[in-house]
Amino acid sequence: MPSPTIVASPGLSSFLKSLKSTPVEASIEHLISLLKRRQIRNSRPCAVATAQLLLRVVSAFRWTDVSRLIERIQLVGQRLQAAQPRELSIGNIVRRILGLVREEAEEDRDADASALSEPGTDSQPGTPRISGVRPPLSSSISTLSPLRHGAIEPLDPTVAEPDTAKFVADSAQRPPLLTSHTSYAASATAPMATSMFSLLSHPETPSSTATPSGTQSPSGRPTSATQAVFASLTQKDLRPEVIGGIEEIIDELDQVDEQIAGYALDHIHSNEIILTHTSSMTVQKFLLTAARKRKFTVVHAEAYPNDHEATHATVTGKMVNENQDELSSEAFQKPLTAAGITVILIPDSAVFALMSRVNKVILGTHAVLANGGLVAAAGTRAIAKAAKTHKTPVVVVSGVYKLSPVYPFDFESLIEFGDVSKVFSYEDGDLVEKVDVENPLFDYVPAELVDLYITNLGGHAPSYLYRIVADHYRVEDINI
Amino acid sequence: MGPKKHQQQQKKGPAPGEEVEETLQAVVLADSFETRFTPFTLERPRCLLPLANIPLIEYTFEFLANAGVADIFVYCGAHTDQVEEYIRNSKWTHSSSPFTRLDIIRSTSHSVGDAMRDLDHRDIITGDFLIVSGDVVSNLPLEEAIAKHRARRAADKNAIMTMILREAGGAHRTKAQGVTPVFVVDPTKDRCLHYEEMRRGQEDRYLHIEPELMSGHSELEVRQDLIDCHIDICTPDVLALWTDSFDYESPRKHFLHGVLKDYELNGKTIHTHIIDDHYAARVQDLHAYDAVSKDIVSRWAYPLCPDSNLLRGQSYRLQRGNIYKEDGVVLARSSVVKRSTILGQGSSIGDGSEVGKSIIGRRCQIGKNVIIEGSHIWDDAVVGDGTVVRHAVIANEAVVGKNCRVEPGALISYGVRIADGIKVSGISRITRCKRKRDADDALVSVPSEPEIVGPGGEGYDYEESDDEDIDEDERAMSSGLIYNMANLAVSDSSISTMTSEISEEPPQRMRSAASSFATTTSEDANEDEFHHDAASSIYDSLQRGDTSDVIQLEMMGLRMSNNASDHQMRRAMAAAFTKHIHNLVESGSANVSQAVPRVFKDHKDLITRTIFDRNQEEKVDQVDFLLLMQRDLIGKSKGDSILLFTAKELYDLEVIEEESFDQWWNDERSSADPEMRKIRSQTEQFVEWLANAEEDSSEEEDSEEDDE
Repeated sequence: MPSPTIVASPGLSSFLKSLKSTPVEASIEHLISLLKRRQIRNSRPCAVATAQLLLRVVSAFRWTDVSRLIERIQLVGQRLQAAQPRELSIGNIVRRILGLVREEAEEDRDADASALSEPGTDSQPGTPRISGVRPPLSSSISTLSPLRHGAIEPLDPTVAEPDTAKFVADSAQRPPLLTSHTSYAASATAPMATSMFSLLSHPETPSSTATPSGTQSPSGRPTSATQAVFASLTQKDLRPEVIGGIEEIIDELDQVDEQIAGYALDHIHSNEIILTHTSSMTVQKFLLTAARKRKFTVVHAEAYPNDHEATHATVTGKMVNENQDELSSEAFQKPLTAAGITVILIPDSAVFALMSRVNKVILGTHAVLANGGLVAAAGTRAIAKAAKTHKTPVVVVSGVYKLSPVYPFDFESLIEFGDVSKVFSYEDGDLVEKVDVENPLFDYVPAELVDLYITNLGGHAPSYLYRIVADHYRVEDINI
Repeated sequence: MGPKKHQQQQKKGPAPGEEVEETLQAVVLADSFETRFTPFTLERPRCLLPLANIPLIEYTFEFLANAGVADIFVYCGAHTDQVEEYIRNSKWTHSSSPFTRLDIIRSTSHSVGDAMRDLDHRDIITGDFLIVSGDVVSNLPLEEAIAKHRARRAADKNAIMTMILREAGGAHRTKAQGVTPVFVVDPTKDRCLHYEEMRRGQEDRYLHIEPELMSGHSELEVRQDLIDCHIDICTPDVLALWTDSFDYESPRKHFLHGVLKDYELNGKTIHTHIIDDHYAARVQDLHAYDAVSKDIVSRWAYPLCPDSNLLRGQSYRLQRGNIYKEDGVVLARSSVVKRSTILGQGSSIGDGSEVGKSIIGRRCQIGKNVIIEGSHIWDDAVVGDGTVVRHAVIANEAVVGKNCRVEPGALISYGVRIADGIKVSGISRITRCKRKRDADDALVSVPSEPEIVGPGGEGYDYEESDDEDIDEDERAMSSGLIYNMANLAVSDSSISTMTSEISEEPPQRMRSAASSFATTTSEDANEDEFHHDAASSIYDSLQRGDTSDVIQLEMMGLRMSNNASDHQMRRAMAAAFTKHIHNLVESGSANVSQAVPRVFKDHKDLITRTIFDRNQEEKVDQVDFLLLMQRDLIGKSKGDSILLFTAKELYDLEVIEEESFDQWWNDERSSADPEMRKIRSQTEQFVEWLANAEEDSSEEEDSEEDDE
């Protein structure tokens, strides 16, 4: 992630601090204005702020009906997203939480149904669930933007899966579909075999590794089942579940870099020359983890003009100011050189010349789109293109929270244009008057330039991302 | 990534202990006490004029929110109600506002100095605070400057103020045009040592630097490449200084200059924080308005950009080439939108029209085959087919007919209608309204001038001579004038009309009445200004019933600051007295014979203190006063009888001696024109009586002598 070079006093930390003391509505407005003022920027701070805010929203909101809660979250999500449409992680988190609520609601309904009828019959939970899904589904299809199609196709089989009754056991039926979000923690504790081939096994892994989450939902189920007798109480049971789910997402945001770094040794080999770009923390941790066991060389492109200072700081290990929000330990992170790695800092313009010697390009990103394309720091596309020409593999490391179901039909609208004065000094009055200066912060990198994504779930081919999108976001939430 | 780390460090670093909790306060001077935006400011306050379709004051608030300010006090002058209403409905007073307090302070101040002194009396400033004008556009985070300021203050209590200045090279569109501020800075201590303003067209281009400065500092920088955006970080001492120096009006020309000059006296130092990154500018006049608009469109002020949609309900999107479009813009297929353009919601552009480098508000209707270039078109304006608009400002709801030509520099104010086929010249400033002179903010509509706006049009050419032009060439000529205009608080066109219209209110609106101002030199203007201030001040005091001592004190201050002569004092006094008496009589609260003695009895001292010829043969001062009274009474109803009673009263009170009356009567100035003669006609008997009495007394004396 590129660090901000503008540092203003209000920001993520002050927002999080004020979150507990201020009323919800005020906090929403507060976050909106921070987003508009770009005082909270970049994927992770945005994601953290959104998750924390929605946690507040959910815990403060009094609802009698789950659909009310969903509406409420949608409304807040729409406002947040409208405040800064180019921070896709905001929408991602909102969608995740919406999906979470829906799942809990359905689970609850299932439990009701199964409690009322004989528990264990698989047809019963299947039908109410689908009836629960369908109405919003059909309504959302009517308002469907074309970008939906990419995600619909993959989702259909998953929706169909329970119907085909491949998994007959009712306890095994839900986890792979419903609690996919809970599975990251599990997959992190037990990293799956991570080669590109292992991707194929991915649909199975949740069910195999989902035992912790599986145990969670059964533990919830008996209670809900008993409470189903007191029909009025069942609704209230949802709140802690949803809140628990959101907290899991927040935990995930905390751990995502470490989880990704867990795959480092599979991808970085001894004596390789790795090229990277920007001061992304995810990439740094990834490289550092590999550096513990292996010796390699890093060529670091400086990402002028928006991120070069942070990049220099990363290289020299003085990144105290430009650092992470909550994990203060990262502030004292050792630079790669301290781990005995040779680091070569180059200007962006030298990338092509050096590419022939590079074994692998590892990039951070701002967002990953449903088609496998990237929205990443400006300059990334040039690097990816150069790598393509030299047939150098391009690996993108990114948390799943950056993965967005948005399809980039108009990718220019996803590109933020930043502070012009970074490119060109404002002092030169003559030229300011005569020259138009542009400073795009992001590049759109098409999927075909990327060879592999490494998320906290493992490695994925760009063409496979649709599947992860389908796992994480509900169709009805793709338009918030 | 989150700036938390940074912030903590910031706080821990420079300000240990208690200071972390110190809230930052800010004073926004929403009124500039200038008239550089006429004719638009006739109807709207300056801070609500739209800059890139967002009211100016929003930028200031954004800046303050960005800086983490907690309490804000907004000083309003003209159009306070509009400002108040706007702020009340804005997000800044909403519960989610980043400000814990946002107060609008109504005051009668007519200069920044007055506002500061008022602020000092209110006692609401608790610690370090910011002074910004309500037209600052900046994306600068202030932590560093504030930290430095606090560090300096902790080291030295006399470091009272830090000014934030932006480097801007030699020529720059955003720099102040009419006047060049020159800062003499000691770069080793960031201390500002001397400040002067150079005007364009000024004769001497010299800077007067005290020799001590040269000897006392190893390094000096003389800088005129700075944009002074009037962002000051102050300690409460600053307010006390303002109060001490009651004659200071402008924050730079008077206050800064004065404090630096008096360094030996009070030992206060003022520091600079010169930045070479981030954006900071001030919309001080229409030229700056245009320049800052351009800066915002080309994203120099990021994230203060249209597509940040700072205002609620905005939906701008950026397209390639810095074109910002809101939802619901209707563009005809053959219309062309060129670079650097903003199009507001609901605006439509007809076939074959070209719009470039312009800012178009909401719901504007642009006809077919129109060319708009470099212009600012505010909400709801209509531009008819075939019209060409270049480098002009067209305000809300104005209608420009078909096939018109609006030339560079034209200003078309609110609701003006221009008929078809009219050419609007570049120097015209067309409005419908005029400010009434003696009422509060009241606007009078003025009959239209068909030769300007065409048959069926509405509006007239605003007759103020300080042309505000966007056009470069015009500007070169006019900017010097503009500067004078703004800083000299111009009074009426002539003194004789003054008496009837000393306004109860500060003179902002008086300035607009100056029709012959262009010809007044700056000294005259200075004199006029003093006269106006003094007269209105005395008059106010008289109205309030202040004692002579109070008035005297006030006058001393005014007089010292303006270096006014005794004659001017008398003139002001005469004007105020006549007006007051006249008012008393007119209002029916007293007839002439009661009013005059009442007034003069109480304030006898005032007059005596302006008269220094008591023991001289030639009673110049006394005659002068009488003449002034006489002249002021011209045209007043019952002026003649007021003069009679005044003469009698002054005689009874022994303010004016017999001989003076005699000399006055014989002075040719007192009978110079028929009006003067008419006014004094009634007084004739008094003078005759006096003359007789004199003779009598002298006879008596004679006889007494004889007796002896």
